[in-house]
Amino acid sequence: MLRKVVSHVGLILAVVIVLFPILWVLRTSLVPAHDSYSTAILPAVTLDNYRALFADKDFGRNYLNSLIVAGLSVVLTMPLAAMTGYAFARFRTGGRIARFATLASQMLPPVALALPTFMLFRTLGLTNSLLGLTIVYAAINLPFLIWILMGFFESIPEDLEGAAMTDGATRWGAFWRVVLPVAAPGIMAAAVLGFILSWNEFLFALILNGSSTATVPVALASLQTSNGVQISNVAAGVSLAILPLMIAAKFIQKYLVEGLSFGSVK
Amino acid sequence: MPAIKLNNISRDYGLGIFGVQDVSLDIEEGEFMVLLGPSGCGKSTTLRMIAGLEETTSGEISIAGRDVTRLAPRARNVAVVFQSYALYPHMSVRENMRFGMKMRKTPRAEQEARIAQAAEVLGLQAYLDRKPSALSGGQRQRVALGRAIVREPDVFLMDEPLSNLDAKLRGEMRQELVKLHRRVGKTTVFVTHDHVEAMTMGDRICIMRNGRIEQVGPPLEVYARPRNTFVAQFLASPAMNLIPAELTASDGGIALGAGPIAGPLPAREAAAYRAGVGRALQFGLRAEDIATEAKPGTLPFEGSVTAVEALGNENLIAVESGGHRIAARVDRHFLPKLGETVTLHADLAHMHLFDAADGEALVREA
Ligand SMILES: Nc1ncnc2c1ncn2[C@@H]1O[C@H](COP(=O)(O)OP(=O)(O)OP(=O)(O)O)[C@@H](O)[C@H]1O
Ligand SMILES: [Mg+2]
Repeated sequence: MLRKVVSHVGLILAVVIVLFPILWVLRTSLVPAHDSYSTAILPAVTLDNYRALFADKDFGRNYLNSLIVAGLSVVLTMPLAAMTGYAFARFRTGGRIARFATLASQMLPPVALALPTFMLFRTLGLTNSLLGLTIVYAAINLPFLIWILMGFFESIPEDLEGAAMTDGATRWGAFWRVVLPVAAPGIMAAAVLGFILSWNEFLFALILNGSSTATVPVALASLQTSNGVQISNVAAGVSLAILPLMIAAKFIQKYLVEGLSFGSVK
Repeated sequence: MPAIKLNNISRDYGLGIFGVQDVSLDIEEGEFMVLLGPSGCGKSTTLRMIAGLEETTSGEISIAGRDVTRLAPRARNVAVVFQSYALYPHMSVRENMRFGMKMRKTPRAEQEARIAQAAEVLGLQAYLDRKPSALSGGQRQRVALGRAIVREPDVFLMDEPLSNLDAKLRGEMRQELVKLHRRVGKTTVFVTHDHVEAMTMGDRICIMRNGRIEQVGPPLEVYARPRNTFVAQFLASPAMNLIPAELTASDGGIALGAGPIAGPLPAREAAAYRAGVGRALQFGLRAEDIATEAKPGTLPFEGSVTAVEALGNENLIAVESGGHRIAARVDRHFLPKLGETVTLHADLAHMHLFDAADGEALVREA
């Protein structure tokens, strides 16, 4: 009994430590600007910070940009990642080299790619464009998602496809009608992960895009101006930026649990 | 025309590793053929090659007279029951059964009729709308069967479909399957490593080892005349007793010397095995061909009891004599103690002789 109490107290403490900064950001976003740095928990509640963010800073535009870029890049990547991951899981496509190269491309520091990408995209007229950033995110996330999905496909018994193919399906039909639905939780989890990665990306968004196509992380960074950090606005922006991540986390939790247990279905 | 003809088929994995090597086998229309052999002998590979799920690196396979060697699985009109059942986890039992018919564009009404009939035969009516994950092992097994039946394929291919069931259910399903086969009358290839399944279910059995066929024939015939020591030992439990032996000619007859089992052969056996005189041999005798009482044509031998397994209906005992261990299946009333010396009688009417070097059976003349 005592042990239970102790461990619960410990856990609650840990949760508070982890959540405190986030809660404090939320609190700062809701109090008037002049109270931002006070230690009072909730001296007054106002939505002015949010209003200012949208009215003066065009934050709605940034938010939409982020949603478009992160969403589209996932839509672009997932089919490619699913098919490549399946090929890697089931055939000898590309051999070891292709698998290694896929993983190795993840080891490059992003900065190493940023400059060449900028030069290339300037030539192609893809700088300061949502399409350009979407393509970059799709390219960056592809290897990682391939790798994750390969693992999911490998855990699906091959006999399932054997059954589908003797039942009259083509290899493609077996993939489409049996493998994909069975792997759906894994694929959804991977998609959410890809979305989060794009949502949080800063470096490429900063280098490639200007103010009209800026994403949320870049917009938040620009609030730290030469005449100080507009902390109340930053807090409001961060709170809004976290929102999709919380929704995503909820999804991931659901899918990962399903995804991890689908192997037990005989 | 055989229903399935395997002509010298091989599966070469490269680097000299063969899953199946030079297998030739004719399976007749409506026949229940059992592929039997130890783990890794190539049974599954053979089955998957027939289904088209495994590449045939050389040789030809024809089904119903049509060369299917290079055809995709869907073009072969075979149905496979996998050891793991491989039910589609995201579909209900009904959808699982419907899938193959849908792929083949069977009319909807026909689909319903076949599902209803299969569900009735297999006792699955109550489960049609459940997902496979909500079924017991035996029920899943029946769904896998049902999924194959509704397709009305040319050939059923079954890879150890009973091995995941408990002993009682396995016995029941064995009989169900045989009954079903009689009703449907379709050519069936059934893989197992269980010799009881092979003996009781097969019209013929095909015993494999190391990717090759060792012997093909009706179960009782293979049992009575194993072609070599491998088949002799594999097709029974306990395995056939094998003892190094020789035959010597002695005053008109032939004398057997096989460890403790020594003496003149009965006239019929003497005539049948004349060719074995002077060769290095192995004497083989099944556990049930050792009696506790003398009869005409038996040779007595003594041994000390090293193991007793009382099964209720019979006893399995093992005796040790002159460095040879001999297993015997005896009457349940014959229950010696460990270490006790007993006299047993080898029934030579059922003896086997094999060449000591290559294990090939000596042909019994006459
Ligand atoms: N991809 C592969 N590469 C190399 N060897 C393989 C491969 N797949 C199977 N084999 C070999 O082929 C042989 C036959 O395998 P198979 O699965 O047909 O055996 P089996 O008779 O069905 O055995 P079990 O009773 O254990 O199911 C085995 O020795 C196995 O090691
Ligand atoms: Mg097998």
